[in-house]
Amino acid sequence: MLNFLKSRKCKAVLWVLALLIGLMLYAVFVGGYTISSVSVFNAVAAPFQRMSNAISQHVEYGLDLYRNAEDYYEENRALREEINLLHTELADYEATKEELERLQAFIGIKEKHEDYSMTSPFDVTGYVTNDPFCAFRIDGGSEDGISLYDPVVSDMGLVGVISELGTHTATVTTILSPELSVSAGTRASKERGVLTGSVPLAMDGLCKLQYLEKDVNLKKDKIILTTGENGLFPAGYVIGYVKETKMDDTGLTAYAAVKPASDLKNLSLVVVITDFSGKADLNDVQQ
Amino acid sequence: MMYSNKLRKSNFLFLQILQWIFFIIIIAFCYLAETSGSYSKPLLLLPAALCIASHTGEIQAMAVGMACGLLLDLACGKLLGFNAFLLVAGCVLISLLYRYFLRQKLINMLFLTAICALIQGGLDYVLYYAVWGYEDVFLIWQEIIFPSCLMTTASSVIFYFLIKKIAESCGSHRINQLEKMRISDYQD
Repeated sequence: MLNFLKSRKCKAVLWVLALLIGLMLYAVFVGGYTISSVSVFNAVAAPFQRMSNAISQHVEYGLDLYRNAEDYYEENRALREEINLLHTELADYEATKEELERLQAFIGIKEKHEDYSMTSPFDVTGYVTNDPFCAFRIDGGSEDGISLYDPVVSDMGLVGVISELGTHTATVTTILSPELSVSAGTRASKERGVLTGSVPLAMDGLCKLQYLEKDVNLKKDKIILTTGENGLFPAGYVIGYVKETKMDDTGLTAYAAVKPASDLKNLSLVVVITDFSGKADLNDVQQ
Repeated sequence: MMYSNKLRKSNFLFLQILQWIFFIIIIAFCYLAETSGSYSKPLLLLPAALCIASHTGEIQAMAVGMACGLLLDLACGKLLGFNAFLLVAGCVLISLLYRYFLRQKLINMLFLTAICALIQGGLDYVLYYAVWGYEDVFLIWQEIIFPSCLMTTASSVIFYFLIKKIAESCGSHRINQLEKMRISDYQD
């Protein structure tokens, strides 16, 4: 053993360890962890990752069907009941919609989300291993017009923001992460708060709408939307649905557990919103 | 006689190359498995690197540790070099331990993998989650990192037998045995 410590091999190992420390320091100083910056490696690995991810999703799907057959049966029954209920409500909805359209035409409100500039859909190349907040990578980067902190959405709702950016890949931090705060509220904007990730809720795939008033009246399944106040996210985009409302530990405010509208654990395609009206300057955001 | 020696040498070289091709395939498979799906899973690159290191010399162990560590950094979204640093140190140490003190027993590998997985998991938990003081942050250890450490340790059983089989078939164990004999002769 002592022979090894005196040998050239030992010196070589120490040199490599010093090199790795240098690499870590470099990674810290260039900003982010440079995962997305390893473009050549990512370019080579991406097709294989996509293939293995597709296989894994199929296996997960099969196992899920097998394990949760009973739950799905119950869910199916409950959904049938809900469909019947919705059919009866649909008639009322149609009337309301007609009235709304008339009012919209009257006051000249622009079509919903007309101000958005969006990219073409990007594939989810893979999830960050064992990340409790479901961070994932996409096959689009700065070359595709994406910038740091651009909002990422799916066809169902808000997903997160670009947190690391390479030329052809980017990492997305989801709304389950405590690192992300989104100004959010209900459609009528009566109940407003800050939507952020919370460790205990993230374990169940939920996020937390906090700083709500004590006597808040948020019913289950109420839609939560972005309010666009900080200029990071466009206003009026669906985030998710209220699952339950509880009092905060302090007793001063309430919070709601929100189930994201997008299935954050099984995303395959996402779109990045590169511009929208009221978007804040990147430098302001970083400050 | 010379012709026979040459043939033996080229045969040995061929087996060594074959062995490293198998090792690279195993490492590539582990990386792909790590980047697939969103569920909590073992860090397969860790036991793979440690098992390979237990059958190789220090320099090869260092190279394997660095390659697997960097791949683990990419898969886990960690600071580039974080896992590489740990795995280079771990693999070189394990290579030395197996050369001088330990025998190729499953229990040894399980124990060493458990220690490395706990060190890696512990540092990951402290530096990436606990340090930020998130609410109920211990849940991350309890629900994700610790189960992953257990799965990582358990998965070393597969790698132990697989890599042992490859190394035995390709002659690495004979080199190690000769090296051990040389060391014991030297100590005597």
